[in-house]
Amino acid sequence: MTKWLILFRKEWLEMIRSYKIVWLPISFIVLGASQPIATYFMPDILSSAGNMPEGAIISLPTPKPFEVLASSLQQFGVIGLLLIALSNMSALSLERSSGTAAMILVKPVSFVSFVTAKWAAILSLSMVSFLFGYSAAWYYTIALFDSVRWLEVLLSAMLFALWLGFVGTLALMFSSLIRSAAAAAFSALATAALLSIVSSTLPFKQVWNPGRLPTLAAGSLDTAQHINNSSLSVWLTAIVTAVAIAIALVIATGSMRSRPSDV
Amino acid sequence: MSVLLSVEQLTKRFDEELAVDNIGFEIGEGRCVALLGPNGAGKTTTIRMLTGLLQPTSGTIQFSGMKQGQDRREWIGYLPQTPAFYGWMTGREFLVYAGRLCGLSAKEAASRSNELLERVGIASAGKRKIGGYSGGMKQRLGLAQALIHRPRLLVLDEPVSALDPIGRREVMAMIGELKNETTVLFSTHVLHDAEELCDDILIMRRGQLSLAGSLATLREENREPVLSLEIEEDDHSRQWLAGWINKLPNGILATSETRGSVRLIAQDLETARRAVLKELTKSEVSLSKLEIGHSTLEDLFLKVVTAP
Repeated sequence: MTKWLILFRKEWLEMIRSYKIVWLPISFIVLGASQPIATYFMPDILSSAGNMPEGAIISLPTPKPFEVLASSLQQFGVIGLLLIALSNMSALSLERSSGTAAMILVKPVSFVSFVTAKWAAILSLSMVSFLFGYSAAWYYTIALFDSVRWLEVLLSAMLFALWLGFVGTLALMFSSLIRSAAAAAFSALATAALLSIVSSTLPFKQVWNPGRLPTLAAGSLDTAQHINNSSLSVWLTAIVTAVAIAIALVIATGSMRSRPSDV
Repeated sequence: MSVLLSVEQLTKRFDEELAVDNIGFEIGEGRCVALLGPNGAGKTTTIRMLTGLLQPTSGTIQFSGMKQGQDRREWIGYLPQTPAFYGWMTGREFLVYAGRLCGLSAKEAASRSNELLERVGIASAGKRKIGGYSGGMKQRLGLAQALIHRPRLLVLDEPVSALDPIGRREVMAMIGELKNETTVLFSTHVLHDAEELCDDILIMRRGQLSLAGSLATLREENREPVLSLEIEEDDHSRQWLAGWINKLPNGILATSETRGSVRLIAQDLETARRAVLKELTKSEVSLSKLEIGHSTLEDLFLKVVTAP
């Protein structure tokens, strides 16, 4: 356990020194805040765009506050996911190709600790960044539109954080399997996109599919929609996702164990 | 001599290629052992299997006195051929990190780091980022991190091959000191380095162990009288040499020859010496050097690695 903490602390130190601890939260905050602000000013932006025909009247219905929050979740689902995948894509492959994994893994350190400490460090920063970003979205939604109940916001944040964590773990796993960082990021994003497309297009309910999580998160903001989602099926999806994360970590650990270095 | 490490029937196969072919050897406690061989002989593969970086295809690696289920890596300190570090850490931070991962307490790791930085001669650079270190400094830091937990066996993979002559001398001197404290196994393709430091040598060739034993025994067992002859570069002498080599008297064998010199291995030194001297006076060759001695390890090394 002590060794795990030492590895974990090293990862945090690295994120501090590389300023990841600064740019990741800032990116998420900008992302979260921009959606309610842009929605609020949309009529003004459109009218000042200048290419509207003379006399055209723009009338946009004022969105409900939960819709604004849901659309900021959509932003996180695209750009946020990309940020998470990019920050994980070379986590293990770089250690391996630079030779540092060989330096560390000849010491009496367990492979599980090596992988999970890295995973926990990156994901904890990602979660904190997402929470900051989502709080920013919530704050501007309240300030510019109307209030949203915190219980619903919390529930949607947890579901969405699980989805981000799942994709982050996928990227980490692919970084242990694939040498190229770009290919690892692509594989993780492609898997995520595939799962979420499958969950929304196929005509039957897929409790097992983590790709449902973004929809569930957005849906949980809407009080009217709550009733349609039985809480049991939400729990099942969450459990399946947690198991999938665990399996991905087992695969990453196995890959590091069988091939600790490239050279 | 008590045995520290014994390796039996170790084999590693990469796809079609047999990188290490059924080798077995023992390393005695407190010995300094050189793993010799030309490039591509399987030295690094063997070392990586010892350190656990590579799973052997078959065979066993056993430390004597190690408890059942104990991690072999606890006893090994390893310096790879090109040590890699986190460039954003300082040298001292890396040592403390390595020490703590080996199970030292924070206090112990700190004091051991200071001591080792001093010892490998980079104490003044300890607070600088490793990203700015030179190759020689990285090699020293690599040596320090391998020693941090006082390993029973220090494994060094070509520790000096990437260094300039001065750095090479200094690192060799350091290894020379270390071999009094712990068991050392290092690989090299330079025989001279091995001869200078080692008690035992293991010579590998094409994945197999061609020769193993203590330096003294090998030297003794393979000692043959050698005459080394050098002549001036005039035409007459050169023609004579070229002709004479082809009709050497019985009991004399040429091992290596260049334009103006030849090394001869003799069965009986006295007969050979008389025959050569007689031939030299008879043909009026301008001799520049005639040395009579015994075969060196280099002769043996060349013989082993170039044997068909």
